[in-house]
Amino acid sequence: MTTESQFETVDMMLNMGPQHPATHGVFRMVLKVDGEKVIDVIPHIGYLHRGTERLAEVETYGQVITLFDRVDYIANLNNELAFVRAGEQIMEVEAPERAQYIRVILAELNRVASHLLFIGTYAIDLGAMTPVMYGFRERERIQNLFEHVTGARMMHNYMRIGGVKADVPDDFVPWVRQLIGEVRKGVEECDKLLSTNEVFLGRTRGVGVIDGPTAISCGLTGPSLRGSGVAYDVRKDDPYEIYPYLNYKVPVGENGDCWDRYYLRMLECYESLSMIEQCLDQFPEGPIMAAGRRIARPPAGEVFSHSENPRGDLGVYLVSDGTDKPYRVKIRPPSFCNLVGLATMTRGSYIADAVAILGSLDIVLGEVDR
Amino acid sequence: MNVTLSDTITLSVQLFALFNVAALAAVSLVWLERRFLGRLQGRPGPNRVGPLGLLQPIADAIKLMSKEDVAPGSSQRLLFYAAPILVFVPAFVVWLTFPLARDVVVRNMDMGLFFFVAISVLSIVGLVLAGWSSNSKYAILGGFRAAAQLVSYEIPIITMILIIGMLSDSLDFVKVVDAQATIPFIAVVPLAFVIFLIAGLAEVGRTPFDIYFAESEVVGGPFVEYSGAHWAIFFLAEYVNTFVIGILGALLFLGGWRWPFGADLPQVASVALLMGKAYFIVLIIFWIRGTYPRMRIDQLMAMAWKWLIPLSFVLFLAAAFQLKFEWPWWVLTILSLVILVVPVIVQSRKQRNPALELAARYAANAIVVQAKPRPAPAVEDAPVVTPAAEGTSV
Amino acid sequence: MISGLKGMLVTLRWLGKKNITANYPKEHLPVQERFMGFPGLLWDETAEEPFCTGCMVCVRECPTQCMTAIMHDNPNAVEGKSHRRKIIETFEINLNRCILCGICVDVCNFDAIAMSHEHELASFARTGARADLGLLLDLGRKFQTEVSWAPKGADRNVASVVLAKRAAAEAAKAEEAAAEAPTEATPASEAPVAEKAEKQEGGES
Repeated sequence: MTTESQFETVDMMLNMGPQHPATHGVFRMVLKVDGEKVIDVIPHIGYLHRGTERLAEVETYGQVITLFDRVDYIANLNNELAFVRAGEQIMEVEAPERAQYIRVILAELNRVASHLLFIGTYAIDLGAMTPVMYGFRERERIQNLFEHVTGARMMHNYMRIGGVKADVPDDFVPWVRQLIGEVRKGVEECDKLLSTNEVFLGRTRGVGVIDGPTAISCGLTGPSLRGSGVAYDVRKDDPYEIYPYLNYKVPVGENGDCWDRYYLRMLECYESLSMIEQCLDQFPEGPIMAAGRRIARPPAGEVFSHSENPRGDLGVYLVSDGTDKPYRVKIRPPSFCNLVGLATMTRGSYIADAVAILGSLDIVLGEVDR
Repeated sequence: MNVTLSDTITLSVQLFALFNVAALAAVSLVWLERRFLGRLQGRPGPNRVGPLGLLQPIADAIKLMSKEDVAPGSSQRLLFYAAPILVFVPAFVVWLTFPLARDVVVRNMDMGLFFFVAISVLSIVGLVLAGWSSNSKYAILGGFRAAAQLVSYEIPIITMILIIGMLSDSLDFVKVVDAQATIPFIAVVPLAFVIFLIAGLAEVGRTPFDIYFAESEVVGGPFVEYSGAHWAIFFLAEYVNTFVIGILGALLFLGGWRWPFGADLPQVASVALLMGKAYFIVLIIFWIRGTYPRMRIDQLMAMAWKWLIPLSFVLFLAAAFQLKFEWPWWVLTILSLVILVVPVIVQSRKQRNPALELAARYAANAIVVQAKPRPAPAVEDAPVVTPAAEGTSV
Repeated sequence: MISGLKGMLVTLRWLGKKNITANYPKEHLPVQERFMGFPGLLWDETAEEPFCTGCMVCVRECPTQCMTAIMHDNPNAVEGKSHRRKIIETFEINLNRCILCGICVDVCNFDAIAMSHEHELASFARTGARADLGLLLDLGRKFQTEVSWAPKGADRNVASVVLAKRAAAEAAKAEEAAAEAPTEATPASEAPVAEKAEKQEGGES
């Protein structure tokens, strides 16, 4: 009689992506499965490689900002901020206070918009169709404001090295205040609909667990890292712009599972909204652009600057050779680094969990492949 | 039994009418689902083809029929094309015995409930065959999932039908409805209705149990390789099955065409009443779809084998005792409500409360970053220019 | 169960609410005033000609190199209706390449280009994405009337203003000259300008 050990079976390789509804773009993972169990995951990236870093070497500093809009196309303003800050460091200029406030307000709004999109798409990954509509509804409101301020809904090209392109419209402050109220209601609605839904809990609690040390060694950042109990937030640990002047909380998880990563984003939405309120209270008058040449021509040198993206720690390494074009722009994309933890989290779970875990990392393929 | 020509003709006409009624019901469901889900999500749903988008399903059907019917080169052609029919035929054949009102039925059988159970199980074969013959990994995963899921959930649904049979003392649909003239069975055994609805959802693969064709996991499961008309047949069968759950719920639990009026209404009104109840159940199904995420296959199986099947057996015993000792009917109501509350509490303790605690703790224990006082704005004295003011050339 | 039922109430509440979507082709949402649609060339009504002189600054600064421009001598300037010695002859934007970044607007010194509110320029053929001077001017004029656009540097760029200023300056100069030496002729100042313009044209072609 043949026992199970003698009876050799071959594990099935299940090719998920690049054209799979749950891989958020063109990510491909090859799952080695034994029935429904995932034995191993081999991620394949590069399907959306657009050569951003190379392109940045042949474009002027002003033009590179448009490229950064497109690196992480969900959180455009946060990305612009990252590059603009690197440019300011290398040129040793500082944006006027009002410009910094404008930037922080917009960046935090964009963080909320990005998290709302995450909540919606995560619910879609798990099979709930309604939260995505609610999330998008609120995101549309935020984008309307962006359109009002920057002129574009997604690809803004609004921030400049040393300030912002144009001052905010007169009705900016009341508009944002009203927006915060509406968005907070919308986030609460998603919260009520999804966060403690039993089926949702069953799908996310205890799934894709990664502990703090492993998360650090995998290079996770952002909510994915904080979900594992590591309280690292660039805004807190390496404050930039006007973040030191704001009261806020950095929510930290305990279990490092999908639900923690999800719920921290939900809490961050509330925190960001309260930060924006404080910014509006302190909103100063003044110029919006630092003095200096309009065309950036920084001295030769190099600089590394990082900031907190909705997905984590976004670093920009900028080398200048003294011309009006950067010599090298290296982007440290949080999505790409978060993806390193995917295999660790997914091994031993179910196929359906692989989808849930990938969703909870909230990757943006534009940023992974650049 | 002599079968005369006129009998054959009558039967053919009846079957044709039945086919059309079922297809129409399914098509109406497609429209209803899309409109209703749209409403839940703050959008209108299909609204272009015809008034209120009523002709949208027709447009979809024409589009599907005119599509090229592609079969993978490595598929088993015979089985590949037989599978949709194997799913489709049982979905329609069960309608033979559904009375839409007294005497509005193709063949009323004494064993109507049994007939339904026996025929509806057959569609599993079609799903597994579809998965296997497609020669696709997603399809076969979906096929296996379908087999596991549908077979498991047959048991609670059959037990519930059995309880109804016991309570009404018959397996004949008309007599089941007659037994509910004053009190519908949902009042007698609410738990049975809940289990029936859950198992019914799983049986037809609606959210939260749309696991075997989950589009974010197995991308359509057994249907992944189908296109055009063959896919349309699966689609139609799915909606017919959903409506079957609605009709069955109305007949078995909501008093069919009799309750709440007691006496028989005129035939048209009876049919309307029954259809109204069926659509009500279908709307609940759509509402659940608009709210819940999808379960995982192991959770689904655990739910069937650890909760639904034991609960249905307990309920079955309770019903048996009630009948044996001739307790009043409300005893069974109380018993079944008690049995219903127990899993809710247990499950809430196990899942919801810890999550709520955790959520509160995360919100409370977040690391507080205190604001530094802002330096006086007088520092900004450097000459500054707005980009508009500085008009340097490039 | 309990949370799920609460969630069901959340979705149910939307049954009575109004749609949040717009019935798109029938109903167009208004765009904000700063909205950046496809670029359009603006029209100087005081001289009945475009603002654009074809200086190529936007062509060079465009991150996607989506523009081409050719300039020629401005007939209106010869007639004295305009201060622009050179004016745009052809201007083409490949809308497929344009990323609507607004850099061309930022760098333009002549208030000649603006991001219009037009964003629905779908066409059935690729050539439909080639916006020529006529289309761009149409976009620009539509935009000007829509937002009652005003030039940023009116004293430099609007023909009537500049001509009036120049005339005033010349009148002042003439007055001065008349006061000093009435024999000095005015055409002397015109001649080198025309020469320079010819040279520029030669370089362009």
